[in-house]
Amino acid sequence: MFGNKNDVPLDRDASSRFLPWLIAMMVYLATMSLIIAITMNKLANRWDQGLSSSLTIQIPAEPSAEKRRTLEKQLKTFITKIENLDNISRVEQLNDTELNKLMEPWLGKDILLHDLPIPYLISIELDSSSAKTIDEIKLILAQDIPNASVDDHQRWLGNLLGLTKIIQIIALLVVILVGGAAALMVILVTRMGLAIHRQVVELFHHMGAHDSYIASRFQFHALKLSIVGGLSGLLLAGITVASFSSLLGQANSAILPTLTFTSGEWGLLLLMPLSASLIAMMTARLTVLRSLALMP
Amino acid sequence: MDFKLLVRFQDVHLRYGSGPDVLHQVNLTLAPGSFHFMVGPSGAGKSSLLRLMYLAHRPSSGRLSIFGRDVSQQDRKELTMLRRRIGIIFQDFRLLDHLTALENVALPLTITGQSLDKVRRNVSELLSWVGLADYLDAKPPTLSGGQQQRVAIARAVIARPSLLLADEPTGNLDDKIAERLLFLFEELNKRGTTIVVASHNEGLVNRFNHPVFKIVNGEVRLIRNQQNSPVTPTAENM
Ligand SMILES: Nc1ncnc2c1ncn2[C@@H]1O[C@H](COP(=O)(O)OP(=O)(O)OP(=O)(O)O)[C@@H](O)[C@H]1O
Ligand SMILES: [Mg+2]
Repeated sequence: MFGNKNDVPLDRDASSRFLPWLIAMMVYLATMSLIIAITMNKLANRWDQGLSSSLTIQIPAEPSAEKRRTLEKQLKTFITKIENLDNISRVEQLNDTELNKLMEPWLGKDILLHDLPIPYLISIELDSSSAKTIDEIKLILAQDIPNASVDDHQRWLGNLLGLTKIIQIIALLVVILVGGAAALMVILVTRMGLAIHRQVVELFHHMGAHDSYIASRFQFHALKLSIVGGLSGLLLAGITVASFSSLLGQANSAILPTLTFTSGEWGLLLLMPLSASLIAMMTARLTVLRSLALMP
Repeated sequence: MDFKLLVRFQDVHLRYGSGPDVLHQVNLTLAPGSFHFMVGPSGAGKSSLLRLMYLAHRPSSGRLSIFGRDVSQQDRKELTMLRRRIGIIFQDFRLLDHLTALENVALPLTITGQSLDKVRRNVSELLSWVGLADYLDAKPPTLSGGQQQRVAIARAVIARPSLLLADEPTGNLDDKIAERLLFLFEELNKRGTTIVVASHNEGLVNRFNHPVFKIVNGEVRLIRNQQNSPVTPTAENM
């Protein structure tokens, strides 16, 4: 059903040489952007978990010794109450030595701690990140020690997560723009092909070729070139990721992401050359059909 | 056939863009199995008239029917099917240089989706008939002008068209070869193909006994009838 496959000599056009390269670069860009988006998403999840499963409570110091004793009693009760909650892995009041260590950079080694009104710090770690547990803790705290303040890292984390969101959105935008650019490129290349082979196209039209027959020539040409280009782009992206992840593996940092993907994510990455090929094919087809529609 | 006239022009005008009428008030009919010449000076509109017939242009006004169908009433698919029943020989042949003679001649069949292997035998038989049995795999640039022309003719008739249109087929041939070519057309005509040959070579045309249309000032007139007798102008053939 395909007639004579090489009746429109598109293989000899310059486009046959440069289109695969352009598609390869675009698929590379799109794939790398997608990898960045996926990695950012993972990173955000990890940070979210790591940080919002811990909080620090700060209680201002009491100058009078008597009040200090009451406060310390209150703290003990508070800590017991917290320990009895679900989902708590550790509750700890930082002792003088630890506080000293924390203050050292600002105050110097020689200052004796009990000479200064130093706040009390309680660090709480949860088994798993849970807004419910954090709310419970805050409620108890508000009842027992109203002048305490809670730092659950939310604001800092919020900013960071916002940043990763922005990076993700930009990465996805790049994917979409690259897709659009690829489509425009294929339109140009197809128009070029139509101009070069105008005589052949007109001849076929006059002989009674269906528009879809003529379009199929251009569309399979674009498909062929973009599959070659797309797979090369994906391969290039794979090589880049492999070398990065071996570098990151050596760094072995907890804060940096690992570059491993689930099968779903692999599927998404494979979708880049696939959709590039589909975009190329459909764009070529529509471009030819539109130009043929101008012929009577 | 459910129609008496293969081609029918009714008050057809043709102009390109917003230019003047190239063809003016054309009324002509072609009966199935007829053989007509079309003459006229350069720029008279011979090619334009043929382009209307092979549906490369639409009339600017008036009615054109091919195979009994009003062209303006047909959708794109139907026009495509009408085109497949028309064979065209272009003055410049329009052979594809990257294909062999055999592939070129097979084009009208392969563009309908038939595979080359299926039509190979028919095509080589036709090429033998036009005397090119030894050139099946030759590319057009390696063929002589006359050989290229025979490839072009074979291509125009391979799909057994009902209507064969030849635009200046004898243009750059010497008279003897041109005459042989016209004998070939007569052969096809005897087998039932309706033929229109546009030519500015009136001497050659006069050696054959076929009706002649002449285009003068955009008007098409039948200047000679079958019996080689000049037509006296009547309202009918004006
Ligand atoms: N595509 C076009 N656009 C505008 N004008 C055209 C076009 N094709 C033909 N013409 C004009 O229409 C007129 C008739 O041209 P046409 O080619 O039909 O003449 P012809 O009789 O075939 O001439 P020749 O014997 O030289 O081939 C000419 O004046 C030509 O300039
Ligand atoms: Mg002409």
